[in-house]
Amino acid sequence: MSICNKNGAAVLALACAFALALSAQETALDPSSSVKIDLPADAPLNLISTTMGDSRATSRGGAIVLDLHMGLTLRNSGARHIRGVTLLITAQEFAPGGKGSVARPSIDVPPGENFTLPIDIRLVRPVRETAGPLVRVQLDGVLFDDLSFFGPNKLNSQRALTFWEVEAERDRAYFKQALQARGEKGLQQEILASIAKQADRPQLDVSLSRNGRAVGSAVPSTDHVAQFAFLNLPGAPVQPLEGWAAISGNEARSPQIEIVNKSGKPVRYVEIGWLVKDKQGREYVAGSVPGSESTMVLPSGQHTRLQQDTALRFSRSGRPVEIDGMTAYVSQVEFADGRVWVPSRRDLDSSPLLRVTAPSPEEQRLADIYAKKGLGALVLELGRY
Amino acid sequence: MNHPRENDLALLAGGEAGRIRRFLLDRHLRECADCRETVAEYRELRADVAELEPPDLNWSVLAADIRANIRLGLEAGACVRATPALKRWNARPAIALAGLLLLFVGGFFMRDVRLRQLISEQTPMAEEATPVLQMTGSGVEIRSGTNNSLTLLNHHGTATNQTVSARGDIGTRYVDSDTGSVTINNVYLQ
Repeated sequence: MSICNKNGAAVLALACAFALALSAQETALDPSSSVKIDLPADAPLNLISTTMGDSRATSRGGAIVLDLHMGLTLRNSGARHIRGVTLLITAQEFAPGGKGSVARPSIDVPPGENFTLPIDIRLVRPVRETAGPLVRVQLDGVLFDDLSFFGPNKLNSQRALTFWEVEAERDRAYFKQALQARGEKGLQQEILASIAKQADRPQLDVSLSRNGRAVGSAVPSTDHVAQFAFLNLPGAPVQPLEGWAAISGNEARSPQIEIVNKSGKPVRYVEIGWLVKDKQGREYVAGSVPGSESTMVLPSGQHTRLQQDTALRFSRSGRPVEIDGMTAYVSQVEFADGRVWVPSRRDLDSSPLLRVTAPSPEEQRLADIYAKKGLGALVLELGRY
Repeated sequence: MNHPRENDLALLAGGEAGRIRRFLLDRHLRECADCRETVAEYRELRADVAELEPPDLNWSVLAADIRANIRLGLEAGACVRATPALKRWNARPAIALAGLLLLFVGGFFMRDVRLRQLISEQTPMAEEATPVLQMTGSGVEIRSGTNNSLTLLNHHGTATNQTVSARGDIGTRYVDSDTGSVTINNVYLQ
């Protein structure tokens, strides 16, 4: 290569580096202008401080990448213990209409105490001038230890926080009973069994989109309709009768499940756990089929159909997982009076299939305490409340 | 009566008509005085010409000139034939080439269309403008196109549990290593 060519290559490399530097400019975000945090004036939470950490805005080509790493320190300004909080996250001008939430269940925050909630968001959007904050954080709900609730509840946070709290009470009672009945050794055996179950639990990668076809529309010829098999839990107030979904390879669409309320009370929400089996016979949790958001009230003895117009695609380690069978069971029921039902520990142990279900947030937290701090810390934690 | 052509009468007068032609002409002459007179005139003329003296010519020079003219004519003819042969345009190779080119271009575009179809079949959720929710290595992401995405990231923790609701939301649950508390990030399709 001649000297002239070498010089030319060097100049070209410098120009490329300069262009790259120009195309990936980073700027620190101003917390006051980038994020707006809205807490109602009468909320039982006060915002004490906000940290932005290493939040950055990076311009890359025709897009802006916003990395927000916030920490919100909140104080319980109410009179009761807080058991859970949900914040609603919305990004300005996010075209697809996506929104998120950050929830902190399984907590016990006495009045006057602070706690910190992390909010980590990455937002990619086209470059354009916008006015106002990029991200808005709002309170969606606070659940107290008596299961009372405060908040606008736009995301149905009351129901979700209540289910998590009832599951937490169930699992805390289970481990406390193991401690009382069999001592620390018995507790240790139970928590080790839980950790092993969590480690062995196979998980699928799922992507989800709106179906694009109306519920009940004709199924394409490439699909087939697969019926659900049901696990009937003895204590469930609702019984699934029949159900099906359109299956095409690793995709399942438009699940529909017919249920009957066999309890003596009206029901306003039901959620069905959904397991799928691959060609090798392995079972996975696919997700859940909830009832619609409409104000459903299902009287005792009446039937209704749960149906959702979405498409779920399953894969594992980047490879599609073809669906060979489906099983469903009742995982959550909310009665019209606000009380909720969740499967008991005995229900969950009644079938080997249910070993693949996820532990409750509380069981996950207790297992983490044992793994990181040992049996003594777990015993202390169970004794707190 | 039909009279024979004058050429035939001249040939008969010179003794150069064919045998059958001569038989037919003789038979006609027996009955036609006019034609007999014509033939007689031709014979007299022939006799007169035979009595003329040939001109004083150098036959060798004349033969050389004739051969030179013939050669020149042949060469000129060859030149005249060669020029149109070079200029003549044969359309068949061009048509074949155009056909091949059309096949190649058509195949290229058909392949491109098929490729796009394959890509859209394999990754429709990532490419379409329809919002798609999915787990990524860093959190739960909703994406629409290439420059529109919102991801709730797992903060200082590895997500150990994923929840998917067919209603249109995906959540990840992780234990925060700073506080030991469980945080659940959910992203929703609207």
